[in-house]
Amino acid sequence: MVLLLWLRWRLFLNSMRRRGRTAELGFQVLGVLFGVGFMMTTSLGFFAATIGLVRIARADLLDLLLWAIFLVWQLAPILFEGYSPGLSFREIARYPVSFRLYIFLSLVYGLSDPAAITALLWLLSVWLGIVVARPEWAFIAALPLLLFAAFNLLLNRIVIGLFERFQSTRKGRERMVFVMFMLIILINLVQLNASNWAQKRGPRLPPWVGQTITKVREFSPPGAALRGFRDHGFPEVYAFSGLTLYAALAFLLLRRQLRSLHQGEIYAEAYQVHHELKVRKGWTFPLVDEVTAAIMEKELRYIRQSARMMLQIIYPPVIFLLVAFNGVGRKNLFAGRSQALLPGAAVFILLSIPNLSYNIFGMDKEGFGRWLLAPLSLRKVLLAKNLTHGGILCSIYALMAMAVIATTHVPPALVLTVTVAFLAILIIQLSAGNLISVYWPRRIELTQMSSKLSSNAAGLVAMLVFFPLAALVGAVVLAAWYWRLPWLPLLSGAVALVAGVKLHSFLLDRAASYAWEHIEEITGNLGA
Amino acid sequence: MAETILQTVSLRRTFGPLVAVDQLDLTVEKQQFYGFLGPNGAGKSTTIKMLTGLLRPTGGEVHILGRNLATDSVEIKRRIGVVPEGLSLFERLTGAQLLNFVARMYGLPRATAAERSAELLEFMDLADSADKLVADYSHGMKKKTALAAAVIHGPEILFLDEPFEGVDAIAATTLKRLLQRFIARGGTVFLTSHVLEVVERLCSHIGIIQKGRLVASGSLEELRSGVKIAGHDHSPLTLEEIFLQVVGGARQDAEVLSWL
Repeated sequence: MVLLLWLRWRLFLNSMRRRGRTAELGFQVLGVLFGVGFMMTTSLGFFAATIGLVRIARADLLDLLLWAIFLVWQLAPILFEGYSPGLSFREIARYPVSFRLYIFLSLVYGLSDPAAITALLWLLSVWLGIVVARPEWAFIAALPLLLFAAFNLLLNRIVIGLFERFQSTRKGRERMVFVMFMLIILINLVQLNASNWAQKRGPRLPPWVGQTITKVREFSPPGAALRGFRDHGFPEVYAFSGLTLYAALAFLLLRRQLRSLHQGEIYAEAYQVHHELKVRKGWTFPLVDEVTAAIMEKELRYIRQSARMMLQIIYPPVIFLLVAFNGVGRKNLFAGRSQALLPGAAVFILLSIPNLSYNIFGMDKEGFGRWLLAPLSLRKVLLAKNLTHGGILCSIYALMAMAVIATTHVPPALVLTVTVAFLAILIIQLSAGNLISVYWPRRIELTQMSSKLSSNAAGLVAMLVFFPLAALVGAVVLAAWYWRLPWLPLLSGAVALVAGVKLHSFLLDRAASYAWEHIEEITGNLGA
Repeated sequence: MAETILQTVSLRRTFGPLVAVDQLDLTVEKQQFYGFLGPNGAGKSTTIKMLTGLLRPTGGEVHILGRNLATDSVEIKRRIGVVPEGLSLFERLTGAQLLNFVARMYGLPRATAAERSAELLEFMDLADSADKLVADYSHGMKKKTALAAAVIHGPEILFLDEPFEGVDAIAATTLKRLLQRFIARGGTVFLTSHVLEVVERLCSHIGIIQKGRLVASGSLEELRSGVKIAGHDHSPLTLEEIFLQVVGGARQDAEVLSWL
């Protein structure tokens, strides 16, 4: 067990050796402090809620707290997968460890998970709350709660085992990350529309829904744990027996799962063999040479192939459409003015740039070396990538502009002004992105939730670029309104566009020469 | 007189206080199969990275095909093929897409790129997996893909860093067939390898590097005549014997691992 704890500590220390990791140690310490603060505060909340519910004679609602513990214990380790130094528990089976010890180690490892520690603290807080509010329940509540904890631990190890099985293939890992991001986006969308739905009076739920929920609450592990000490006499014994049955079943399932792992089960990815070989010609694009077209094709294939990257590109426009064509959203964000929709669309699209272009080599990873081996300059590579990303964003802008123009009246002069300003800001952002990409490259792991699409520094610089640009646009609009100069925004946009093109060319040279001078650093950061 | 294809003059590379490659003078001539050997950490991979533009030398010069790598790198890269240490593959493309892409990077017309990609996939026994992502390939399949990517544009010289490492016997045979065919057609190969038997069988010339310095160089016969081992019979020395003699040999088994 000591060896296992040492291993976890060593994995953490070794992860600090990587270039740039030490600098992030400060953030990690802050994260840990925040985590501890969260644990303590929420535990206090559980303690106070328990006392409150027992004192107002609503102990029947305590199962809601147990449900929260149950869900966090089972789901948080999966949601936060990749945020802690990882250890595939299957690896332990390689060592001369008896099956009994293997089960024991699996349970100890499960207990050392931050989510398990938090859930245990909450459970302890619930018990302490019961002790304070109803001291005569102290002993009788301890047993079901302990059994509930044991059940959670066993079930969590089964869930993690299934998760590891899913994670053992590249496709499984990527699908899992995609599902997680979809869940996050779904929650965002629900939040966005919650106020809208709240204003509408919906149909009442049929009675069987409420009855089913009551039954589930009663017979579920959290419900059984509560009834194990709240009810008196036979119901209490039944509930306790039910909980024991849950725990025993979980133990048997875990035992079965671990047995196959201990005996050396290997998960492999199967694939379909295609016997007909057909290599299609590469893509071409208007106005660009063959080599640039090849690089653009590669970029587009990479983006299309990555569900996460697609999501990052599509997400801002989708949110915009939901807000723009929703009465409440439009009122809140655009003051109900249809003329603000097109500039709004442009801003939403420009928000995608940091994820797409501020770590331009992040997805290439080990393939970065191929750019160095090829008979072309890094300038050409950067330019081709910019053309691809710029092309994608311009296409989305064109679609959104058409949607806005089709549904509301937008004066042609406004369309022209916004389009010119959009192009100018896009080019300036891409220029900054090139420089940031070579200064702070970061390897993107599509199979890890925790892997960001760009570095922390890139995020900061993105703000340093975006806010002055936003302030400049605001100043121009204000000046045009104040001095009644309707042509000023268009003229300023055109000047910014020309300046942006010049800046892009200058920074492209700078980025390419910096990259060449720091090849080892970049390849090191990308793991190439 | 044979044409010099590759020449380094006082090539040097340091990493902080560590001197990885020191005053390296190499000469490789046309159609030579040059094996570059050395113990782990001797500077083989650093050298090959400097020769192919993946690493900047701290000092010295590299001349390939009569051009200076420092000033003419794009033209040189157009005429060389490389299988680097980490393979440098875009793993989220399929095998077919990757080869097609690499060919186009070297300026091959689209139709030729597609034709050559298909031919190479067939030759390398990768046709069945052509539509699979390179990320899902086995190590041997990735090696074969990297070699296919290195030759697709018809280079004049090939640089291969450990091409036989982690490759099964069938894949190794395919690689050897391709390399012998390449030499027979006038190409030049510069490879590093730990598998001395393979080097002995394939290479016409050998260079041995130790602690960043070239300690032996020449054809196998020249090395044999230059190395003398006390008490050895009159049978020709194997490359392994030459290598151990040059780099200092192994410790006596009796002195170490007494418990094993």
